Amino acid sequence: MAGSIPVHLVDPADPIDEVGLYVSERKIYPREQDGRFQRLRKAAVIWLLGMYYGFAWLQWDDRQAVLFDLPARKFYVFGLSFWPQDFFYLAVLLIMAGLSLFFFTALAGRIWCGYACPQTVWTEVFIWMERWTEGDRNKRMKLDAAPWSRDKIVRKGSKHALWLLFALWTGFTFVGYFTPIRDLAARLSPFEWGGWEVFWVLFYSLATWGNAGVLREQVCKYMCPYARFQSAMFDRDTLIVAYDPMRGEPRGSRKKGQLGSVLQRARGLLGMDVAISAVVYAAQHRTAADLKAGARATTGLVVDAQTHLPPPPVVSAPEDLGDCIDCTICVQVCPTGIDIRNGLQYECIACGACVDACDSVMDKMGYPRGLIRNTTQNALDGKPSRILRPRVIVYGLLLLTLLIGFAYGIATRTPLLVDAMRDRNALYRVAADGSIENAYMLRIINKDMQAQVFSIRVEGAAGISLIESGATHPAAAEEVLTVGVTLTAPADVAKGRMDVNFVVSNQDGSLEVKEETRFFGPP
Amino acid sequence: MRVAAERRFDHPPRPLAQRLGAILWPSFFAAGVATMVFFAFVDPLLLRDLTFAELEISRGEGYTFGFFMFWACTASSSLFTWILLRPASRFNTPLAKD
Repeated sequence: MAGSIPVHLVDPADPIDEVGLYVSERKIYPREQDGRFQRLRKAAVIWLLGMYYGFAWLQWDDRQAVLFDLPARKFYVFGLSFWPQDFFYLAVLLIMAGLSLFFFTALAGRIWCGYACPQTVWTEVFIWMERWTEGDRNKRMKLDAAPWSRDKIVRKGSKHALWLLFALWTGFTFVGYFTPIRDLAARLSPFEWGGWEVFWVLFYSLATWGNAGVLREQVCKYMCPYARFQSAMFDRDTLIVAYDPMRGEPRGSRKKGQLGSVLQRARGLLGMDVAISAVVYAAQHRTAADLKAGARATTGLVVDAQTHLPPPPVVSAPEDLGDCIDCTICVQVCPTGIDIRNGLQYECIACGACVDACDSVMDKMGYPRGLIRNTTQNALDGKPSRILRPRVIVYGLLLLTLLIGFAYGIATRTPLLVDAMRDRNALYRVAADGSIENAYMLRIINKDMQAQVFSIRVEGAAGISLIESGATHPAAAEEVLTVGVTLTAPADVAKGRMDVNFVVSNQDGSLEVKEETRFFGPP
Repeated sequence: MRVAAERRFDHPPRPLAQRLGAILWPSFFAAGVATMVFFAFVDPLLLRDLTFAELEISRGEGYTFGFFMFWACTASSSLFTWILLRPASRFNTPLAKD
């Protein structure tokens, strides 16, 4: 025997045991909160989801207003139609989306996350349904902790039934953007959907149910890259949801009416370093209410060892307290379960629930609002803050320029597209009379909703002529014609490489497109 | 009444060489396998004729280009994974001083 394996009993209260390599996520039960930001958020949810569920049913002339017809390779967005050749506009649109992200993030933080991201928008609706069936935060926590009973089965069952119905409707609407939704609805009974339609409805429903019902804030915290880049887009003049530690610290409970706000007391605001020291101390020494709220402290402020911090302020009398009454309601309302008092965190989706919560508590205490508020770091530090700064202006101007260009480009698009492809087999051929011929394939795309008759002529180099000149090419609405044409030039003209233009026009000349190509002769 | 809160384990940042290695090496390996399998079935010259027929690309250049394209894809994926696995405290630093 090489020796006995050392064994020791681990005390369950031993701190080593707490250092798990994997810590299971604690379920978050966001408390319902009313206020300015929450009303705005509700309005955004209703508006955005209203667009999603409503637009699919709108008609434009005799087709669906918004339809992405993949088999026909045509996208319809109200009066506009986009073909694969319009890919350029999609690229511009994506660049604009990226710039908008920079612009709005530099200006006002992650308002996209709190108000417009499909993840948060659908999660919000799923939480409403949870509230209708399982009750408020405390009831939900009790219900989850309780053993299975008839009431629990009924409540959980009806929640999932509601979720499922809503998810299925979401999946149905999603597919309705790719295959006409009225037709899809008509084929529901008797059931005549194709295999792929069934698959995508179910897949999208499952994704909605899983993301908005089960994963929720974990998608934002662990799957979304945006949060992790926020520090690159934020600066000290970006509007963020922030707690004012100079006013709030040291936090502590007190009797209502016992103490006025620090803004009206002799104590006044703390210095920033003392306030930070108090925050660090509070994060490392939790109260029972704090532990129950269960927010993790993950900011560098609290995790990293802070140097050059003064000792935390000592509370020996109620007069030493700041305005934070440590009610932890700001933690309870947070949909991502963080404690905003620990400072700027990537988990914060800027929804403003804690702002509304704190404002309502401040109202009850008779303190001025704004202990947690939407402000900039500079303003928080008591320094001058400028929201309109060069960075924001440059992003804004770039965005505006692109937007104007995008709108102008789409407004002046011609409903006629021409592609000229050279015959790949031979550079040129010599005809019987010694003249040089080049063959081309012209693809004439009539994007118009009306039939057109097109004619082709050639311009550019003298001496080069079109053999099929005078021919006309009728094209139905939205038809793509493929026309073989041949250019010819006398042997003394056709030398080396020459640029020529095909000009395709309709009968009245209102549509005309020039397409450049090359004519090759012997060197 | 305040009690000491549990300190969560926060792994210190790994050295740069280790980070680069963990991103570039697995992606290099995966790109190599992908390149072998892909070009076992597809001739770069045929692919060139289908796509950019006017470009002069030899077979060797086709393999090289294919490999680096695969590597770019796999390395991006590894980089993304690394970003997602970084602990929260790395992102939750206070805003930089002006």
